[in-house]
Amino acid sequence: MRGDSSRERILARVAKATASRQRLPHPGALVTPPADDPVGGFVKRFTSSGGEVAEADPERSPSEWLTGFLGGLDPAVAGVAIGADVPADLRPRLPAVAAAHAGAGISVAWGAVAESGSLVLPSTGTRTAQLLPPVHIVWVPEGRVFARLEDALAELQDGLPAGVGLHSGPSKSADIGRTVVTGVHGPGRCIALVGPGSTASTGVT
Amino acid sequence: MRVEIRDYASRSREIIKEEPGVREAVTGATIAFDEKRRQGYSEIDADAWRRWAEGVKNHTLTHLDHYLTEAEARLEANGAQVHWASDATEAREIVTRLAKQHSVRSVVKGKSMATEEIDLNLALEDAGIEVFETDLGEYILQLLEEPPSHILGPAIHKSLQQVQRLFADRLGSAPDGDPDTLAEAARLVLRDAFIRADMGITGGNFLVAETGTVALIENEGNIRLTTSLPRVHVAVVGIEKLLPRMTDLAGFLQLTARAATGQPIGCFVSLVQGPAVHPDDDGPEEVHVVLVDNGRTDVLAHEHAWEALRCVRCGACLNACPVYRQTGGHAYGWVYSGPIGSVLDPGLLGLHEAMPLPFASSLCGACTDACPVRIPIPELLLHWREEAQEEGLTPWKERAALAGLASVATRPGLYRLAGRIGSRLGATGVARALPMLGEWARDRALPKPSRQTFRQLWREGIE
Repeated sequence: MRGDSSRERILARVAKATASRQRLPHPGALVTPPADDPVGGFVKRFTSSGGEVAEADPERSPSEWLTGFLGGLDPAVAGVAIGADVPADLRPRLPAVAAAHAGAGISVAWGAVAESGSLVLPSTGTRTAQLLPPVHIVWVPEGRVFARLEDALAELQDGLPAGVGLHSGPSKSADIGRTVVTGVHGPGRCIALVGPGSTASTGVT
Repeated sequence: MRVEIRDYASRSREIIKEEPGVREAVTGATIAFDEKRRQGYSEIDADAWRRWAEGVKNHTLTHLDHYLTEAEARLEANGAQVHWASDATEAREIVTRLAKQHSVRSVVKGKSMATEEIDLNLALEDAGIEVFETDLGEYILQLLEEPPSHILGPAIHKSLQQVQRLFADRLGSAPDGDPDTLAEAARLVLRDAFIRADMGITGGNFLVAETGTVALIENEGNIRLTTSLPRVHVAVVGIEKLLPRMTDLAGFLQLTARAATGQPIGCFVSLVQGPAVHPDDDGPEEVHVVLVDNGRTDVLAHEHAWEALRCVRCGACLNACPVYRQTGGHAYGWVYSGPIGSVLDPGLLGLHEAMPLPFASSLCGACTDACPVRIPIPELLLHWREEAQEEGLTPWKERAALAGLASVATRPGLYRLAGRIGSRLGATGVARALPMLGEWARDRALPKPSRQTFRQLWREGIE
């Protein structure tokens, strides 16, 4: 809190500690090589981290296709938790249930990043749907795949929501006997559906 | 966490002799981590990234007052509340007070070295609050009532069989359960804890001044849940964790992951700006950030040690260190172990409290080669050793031996005599007779010295 004496004490100590030290300049931006195929780069990185990528059938409506896709998973998904920002035409025709009991969570990414293989998920899209179900399905508009994480964060910065999650694969741990286990806390399967489009999810300006 | 650094030597001996499984488990795990780090670095221009990261951190640390106030202003504009803690006691008081104010009965925690440093769990439990460590490794250690042994893999010193016995005893799982089964048993307990928790407590890998963003890296998803489900989120963040800009964060998120596990980025990254404000956001109603000094300004003021504040807690130096591999982290006697602990602890706790850690190194330099922010750990260890010598903190036997050596080396007649005696007795015999060196030489045979001293050979003409 402002006016806190500890605040003043710490800032005074920091100022004193650095007073006689040369103030070093910022080195500027980190220069990294550009990617010429962001979508391909994203798919490669995301799948190498254990993420999965599926392609919707363009002959069917996204909603119809997703309903069939969820029914074909093992175990078949009977109820879903859907992010508040998922448009009606991307929602499966399955009962909506509480995230803690859902077989899958459905989200729309604000964007994705090739460099790190990450999905960018704003908190306006219902966090519990992104985290509690064992399977997380994420629609990714291919026009929103950024080559570099820096580019994505720079654009996101203009309308930052309260929370953002970068999801780059399934939940995993090697804390027991150095054996990798998936689905420890968050979703054990994270499936990106990369399709046409260039609009960011709603709720983020 | 209680400071027990003084017992480093005896504890190391005890671990090596009494718990040989620790050496085996830690060596195996750290070598695997280090190989992944090398692979991760090989996929980028690691030298350029590391130089850049060093530069950003140096800039931040030399402008820290500016960035701290900028971060505070941004966090408050985002609706978060900022608290300042001069020491561990104050940090504990702040978090405990917040818990009481919100009638918190149950807390879930993400893995955090800062909360280990301030011994937060004990304070919360004393206040009657139930605390769940939710990182799988931390949860194992909480059941065992042990501190973490490694920054990244807190339970790397535990074998599968030890976890099987523990979970069978405490969680009722099958005594021969495989890692999947064991993880499922822990998940059931912790999922319930997440749903019930009133407060989530985390550390912070970075705090971006420009946006007031607390950034957290992980692989399990437990931190995403900790920062999302409970109605109150508290982040305990050291004041050195600042980064100036969001675009800086992009580089640090990736470089830290590569240094730690070789991954391009952690499976989950949480960027926390403040409490949920959007009607569709089901996140926490309140976010509190506790900025902790607890000795960091002393380190910042130190002529040399301030460079250790660049540390991003990736654990790469621990993984590369041949000394750490022998014992794991518990021998070091405090929360920060391995090479970074040996340079950071003297600054945070005072050199007197941190002895003999500056000497717990072979100075091989593998730590610096691995470090993503190029902390010159061997150089800093030498500075601490010099200070220890100047302040008379080294053992009296060592000081006496060095004084004796200086006395002989500065008297030519005495030096000649010592050389002749040494060449007759043999180096092994001399070494075993000397204080300090004797223990080292007890199980070693040194090369047989020449019967003639160097001075004699020089006079006769060396070919």
